[in-house]
Amino acid sequence: MLRKKSIIDTGSLSLEDIDLIFANADSFLEVSERDVKKVPALRGKTIVNLFFEPSTRTRTSFEIAAKRLSADIINFSSSTSSVKKGESVIDTLKTILSMKVDLIVMRHSDSGAVKMAEQFVNVPVINAGDGKHQHPTQALLDLYTIKKIFNKLEGLKVAIIGDFINSRVAKSDIDLFERMGIDVTVVSPAMLLPEDFSRMKVKHSIDDVIEESDIIYVLRMQFERQNRKFYPSIMEYNRFLSLNKDRLLRMKPGSIVMHPGPVNRGIEITDEVMDISGEPGERITIEQQVTNGVAIRMAVLYLILS
Amino acid sequence: MVSVKEDNNVKNILIKSGKIVDPIKRTESVSDIYIKNGIISEIREKIDITGDNIVVINADGYTVSPGFVDMHAHLREPGFEDEETIESGTLAAIKGGITSVACMPNTSPAIDNQSAVRYILEKSKNMACNVFPVAAMTAGCKGINITEIGLLAEAGAIAFSDDGNSVKDSKLMYEIMRYSRQFGIPLILHEEDSSISKSGLVHEGHYSTILGLEGISSLSDDLMIARDIILAARSKARIHITHLSTKNSVKMIKRAKEEGVNITCDVTPHHLFFNDSCLTTFNTSFKVKPPIRSEEDRMALIEGIKGGVIDAIASDHAPHLDTEKNTTFKLASFGTIGLETLFSAAFTKLCIEEKISLPVLINLISASPAAILGIDAGKIEAGKVASITIIDTGAEEVIKKESFISKSKNSAFIGQKLKGKIVCTVSKGKLAYRDKCIKERSIS
Ligand SMILES: [Zn+2]
Ligand SMILES: [Zn+2]
Repeated sequence: MLRKKSIIDTGSLSLEDIDLIFANADSFLEVSERDVKKVPALRGKTIVNLFFEPSTRTRTSFEIAAKRLSADIINFSSSTSSVKKGESVIDTLKTILSMKVDLIVMRHSDSGAVKMAEQFVNVPVINAGDGKHQHPTQALLDLYTIKKIFNKLEGLKVAIIGDFINSRVAKSDIDLFERMGIDVTVVSPAMLLPEDFSRMKVKHSIDDVIEESDIIYVLRMQFERQNRKFYPSIMEYNRFLSLNKDRLLRMKPGSIVMHPGPVNRGIEITDEVMDISGEPGERITIEQQVTNGVAIRMAVLYLILS
Repeated sequence: MVSVKEDNNVKNILIKSGKIVDPIKRTESVSDIYIKNGIISEIREKIDITGDNIVVINADGYTVSPGFVDMHAHLREPGFEDEETIESGTLAAIKGGITSVACMPNTSPAIDNQSAVRYILEKSKNMACNVFPVAAMTAGCKGINITEIGLLAEAGAIAFSDDGNSVKDSKLMYEIMRYSRQFGIPLILHEEDSSISKSGLVHEGHYSTILGLEGISSLSDDLMIARDIILAARSKARIHITHLSTKNSVKMIKRAKEEGVNITCDVTPHHLFFNDSCLTTFNTSFKVKPPIRSEEDRMALIEGIKGGVIDAIASDHAPHLDTEKNTTFKLASFGTIGLETLFSAAFTKLCIEEKISLPVLINLISASPAAILGIDAGKIEAGKVASITIIDTGAEEVIKKESFISKSKNSAFIGQKLKGKIVCTVSKGKLAYRDKCIKERSIS
């Protein structure tokens, strides 16, 4: 049993919770390898994927996880709902609750929206990403992926590279990584780094960390809105922060590259790296992250609902 | 036009009996300097070398200074080649004893991308004077989007500035400061709150009132400087406030330095030389930005130099065509040229009138700005490429429009009697300029 029924942020997960989730993920990973990838664990349960912000990957991952556990899952996203017409989050929740669902997986572009929803409803809620706040299941699958590859966590060196102002993934990852004794360095230009992060190990160029890190965790870099004004250009990003082939080849033996997906090719990771074959290509664990993501979400759904 | 081109075949130079100024130690001592193949090979009390290909310069009675560093000039290239070019501007610099000049990016197009920086470096490679490009902080100096500060620094920009404007957006200014700090590169800040200065022409005070000229309140500078000090204190950026004009700015910068803000500043000779009473003739040569302010402000700037608050003197050389200046005060362009009078104007005011010592002045136009810009200049040292300026401190001349070699002649100093004259400049290891009088005293 998890300490809490809902998962809003990584901070509310105890170390025992995480161990339990990982242990269950191990067995669900095995289910995913089977010919018939289905167990009857959550038969008769109804889960809602409530997405107020577009997402394909995370939504699909939860959907597959629920289906493999034999739960019924309903996708309710803003593009198909009445939210666009101005219906409030609360009204939407009311409608959904009246359908007698057992669990809500929710994403919203506003930080705190999922917490608000959790306080309003009487069923468990899983945060699938809220604004710039948290994305706890992503952090769990990231940590799980690292653990599966390295067989340990403590003492590993991870460098997280990119935009920390707009990234909820980074905040969730940093919290879990630090609690597990992973040595975290944040690599970011000043304008994409919250001033509060000065408490951490900070570097400004990927070249400062590429050779010594066990894990290069590349964040999405979106050149839109305020970034355009404050961060000069893709060319400047490529020079100081992108993962290119030369840098990939300089990584130490056994080290890996992670990314929460989807990759902006040519920005944070070059095409050359994305399409590289052979041994250097094996360092890129993006696909493993996706596979592990389903197992982690199965574990979380199972532990909450069973 | 005076020819300043020198014979480039001269390999070795011996400067005899000059009074050498060390701006850092603040000392003066008579010695000889031997320059072999462009490199200072020896500095000794008495050097006697004869042979082919040596020019012996008799500097007896003259002051021998490190070549000057002007950290703020507009060479106008690319885009305004009718006003000045890198070639004409560097020749003017050499005549003014300046061997290193930082050129501002508000050209057309602006120096806001790597190829523009490379263009300046390429164009100036064979010029007599070292040119250091300052790149724009924002695209086109428009204050909207930050430039590729990292790539520009790698291309060779030594500092960043939107000279002519201040970045209005405080958040953007703050992020520029935080980002520039990463590269350890100074920001050179023109401080003007355009909501105060608007379409003002001159210092807002007694003279603007009686002359009916629209004023620019000293609040314009002061508000922006106050903001940028606060931003720099928090971001720990390296900032340099250029062309100070107000009393308050000296006070604020003094305090900021005491509090550990990484800040330096410069002043122009024209702000040290004139006060706003000069405006009564409606001479548009005095239309500059920031404006020439009151006597109280001018005295505060001089006190700022005496007290060590002000770190450098820079020309803000701003060439304009006669057609841009021979018009009404309202329509005239802002700016005065200043490369050729940098030393003599400052020397006349500071050393002759205010009794400030010569090494102090020389430090403000050599070693100190070199340190601010992080360039290897401003020192006379064995083993280094020679950059040396020889000064006749006893000379005196009335500045005439015809004597300027800058492409533009808009000098605020025309008609002024200035003391101290550059008689010889050695730059990039070569004899770059000799006045008539020193030619007569040289032996080849
Ligand atoms: Zn200016
Ligand atoms: Zn200027």
